[in-house]
Amino acid sequence: MMLARVADSLYWMGRYVERAEHLCRLSDVMLTATLDRTESATQIARIALAAVGDPDDAAKARNPYDAARALVLDREDSGSVASSLARARENARQVRDQITTETWERLNLIHLRMSDPKAARTFAEGSQAFLHDTIADLHLFKGAADATMSHGEGWRFFQLGVYLERAQLIGALLEVCFGDRGRRGVTDHSALTSLLRMGCALEPYLRVYTADMQPRYILQFLLLDEDFPRSVRFCTARIEEHLTSISRHVEAMGLTGPDRLAGRLRARLQYADIGEVQAGGSSAFLGAVLDECAQVHRQVYETFVAYTLEQRLPA
Amino acid sequence: MTLGAARAGPAKRASGAAAPPLPYDEMRDAKSRVRPHYAALAARIETLSADELAERQKTLERFFLLQGITFTVYGAESSTERIIPTDLLPRIIPADEWKTIEAGLTQRLRALNMFLADIYSGQQILMDGVVPRDLVLRAPSYRREMQNLYVPHQAYANVCGSDLIRQPDGKFAVLEDNLRVPSGVSYMLANREASKRVFPGTFRGAGVRAIDRYPDLLLSTLKSMAADWRPNPQVVVLTPGVYNSAYFEHAYLARLMGVPLVEGRDIVVHDNLVYMRTTTGLRRIDVIYRRVDDDFIDPLTFRRDSGLGSAGLFNAYRAGNVVICNAPGTGVADDKAVYAYVPEIVRYYLGEDAILPNIETFLCREPAQLSHVLANLDKLVVKAVGASGGYGMLVGPHSTRAQREAFAAALQADPDNYVAQPTIQLSTAPCLVDHAIESRHVDLRPFILSGEKIVVTPGALTRVALRKGSLVVNSSQGGGSKDTWVLTDRKELSP
Repeated sequence: MMLARVADSLYWMGRYVERAEHLCRLSDVMLTATLDRTESATQIARIALAAVGDPDDAAKARNPYDAARALVLDREDSGSVASSLARARENARQVRDQITTETWERLNLIHLRMSDPKAARTFAEGSQAFLHDTIADLHLFKGAADATMSHGEGWRFFQLGVYLERAQLIGALLEVCFGDRGRRGVTDHSALTSLLRMGCALEPYLRVYTADMQPRYILQFLLLDEDFPRSVRFCTARIEEHLTSISRHVEAMGLTGPDRLAGRLRARLQYADIGEVQAGGSSAFLGAVLDECAQVHRQVYETFVAYTLEQRLPA
Repeated sequence: MTLGAARAGPAKRASGAAAPPLPYDEMRDAKSRVRPHYAALAARIETLSADELAERQKTLERFFLLQGITFTVYGAESSTERIIPTDLLPRIIPADEWKTIEAGLTQRLRALNMFLADIYSGQQILMDGVVPRDLVLRAPSYRREMQNLYVPHQAYANVCGSDLIRQPDGKFAVLEDNLRVPSGVSYMLANREASKRVFPGTFRGAGVRAIDRYPDLLLSTLKSMAADWRPNPQVVVLTPGVYNSAYFEHAYLARLMGVPLVEGRDIVVHDNLVYMRTTTGLRRIDVIYRRVDDDFIDPLTFRRDSGLGSAGLFNAYRAGNVVICNAPGTGVADDKAVYAYVPEIVRYYLGEDAILPNIETFLCREPAQLSHVLANLDKLVVKAVGASGGYGMLVGPHSTRAQREAFAAALQADPDNYVAQPTIQLSTAPCLVDHAIESRHVDLRPFILSGEKIVVTPGALTRVALRKGSLVVNSSQGGGSKDTWVLTDRKELSP
């Protein structure tokens, strides 16, 4: 049992933290690609910008450094790392009584550094070190939450936010690279490596498929791998797990929870075959996955947060 | 760092005026010798260089920043969140002095609760003419809605934070009673956490009384207010929300008590029963520790434009289905004009003299007292009856002619709204200011809980006026705070 508003805040804290981490990684990969001066640097920047839904990706990709800086530090842009972290922290502050001091301290620290007036200079002096530290601190934050918070309902709402956001972010990234919206497929070796880096997947991929960079394997790994924590399949399995646990109580009251939807989504990925996915068009498959993620999000909100009172008043 | 014998000099005064008595120095006696209960701390400070002290001050501030122990200062443009200025040198109170404070506070709160119970039922004290009837019934903080409402244990003010000051003769006196929604207790607890880190050795040796039971004592006080037939009462803390200046404290107390922190929008009142919206539906609430002012509790009963409370809450309270702590309407007992009568109130209900005296107070509603106040505006502190937090106040000796003229006009226009008190030289305690140890004026805010019984926590928030010579300690007016060590009675420890 917990307050509906609190569950909502914990859920959004998870989503914003995950988004911030993903954006840091995209920016980092973009900047690394520029350093190498490879021909695919522009293509990589375009992938990253398109994956976060920037409509001007073609124009901005010509100047990856400015694009990355805006993506990280621009407070005017509600989709930047700084804004995401400010919102994550604002949500955490609203439920300060629900999260442990250890967890709070980590997030507060990251927020303080990001909102420091000196942040822009630190970024200019060493953008990759800055991004590396931010990502590392976000890992510390998640680790502190895992190690110190009770793994009860509140923690599950937080995890639900993290995994739902992750599934959608990775799904969007794959859609940009492998979707068939008239874009040229990504085949260049360094672009493929960068793509794996954006999903923090390079090293785990190498252990499974060796240094053989094949678009098909990469799609299979990021979409359908059972054990890799950033594959869409892994995320949906966690989403189902957390929702099943959270829904127990509402189901006891004779209501349906969103776990049925989550189960269907998990099954879709668990029993998918990469050949069939490609034959039927990756876009269609990814589109269906992203749609179902959005449905899960809506139903979580309707079931646990914004339910109508008539259903729940004592008879 | 060597501790200079310098005392806070008396404020500059016009020639010819009588010299006001020097403020009481918490650390040194009249001959500038360190008082025995400060000896260990003074010795420890002597061994530290200015840099080491500054380093410790930094550690302390970082602790507060990391924890998010911040305060919102109204009217400040730069930032909405700031750390409350905190001083690392603790203020120390010996056991025998604390005994008097404890007895005095207990007596005072018992009498004030009896006063509230009387005012909101038979009003015997008004019949007997001890307190003027119109003074009470016309006070904005008097709530007619509370009339004849049953309050368990007659405990109207469950949490009280009284402001004490030490006069030049060394005696403590009550400057103000805070019976509405007193805040600051989280700073008392956080200051203690911090000072344990800064002076661990001295702390261990000094025999400081523990204050960490405050949250569970608060919880049992709140539970004692619940109806007998609710076996496992659900307690919640009601906060105005994350933008309130004391939000940190609300979250802190909820976390340490292990109860939900709710906002008005989480509460649903149905058939005079109060529920909160949880993920699994509606859950009954029995006791609300509200940190929302009376006016905002229930838009149906009090202010209609309030979005902070919950519609129907007060009716549920009247029906006995929920308990609101502190009770609405307690403000009538800490009204700045009623304050002047508290010694009479104590004598009336308990037949005892007040252990802690009041500060002499002039009621401007009395014509004779008004003319005295007008003639002495440069020496007095004038306060608006309804205001708090150091707003709406004139400190005579530190005022300009224009300010005094503005106040004189206001006094004549609405004398009922003002009281005046002599400017008291608050006692001083050593503080670290810009790498040097200097004396600053301090007050003392202990916290008293009252439910089934009255409990005084052996500690307090010591508020500091960080500006040199200033007598205003409110955090909204450039005040800070420091830890307060109440020492164990050595005689009671040894067999």
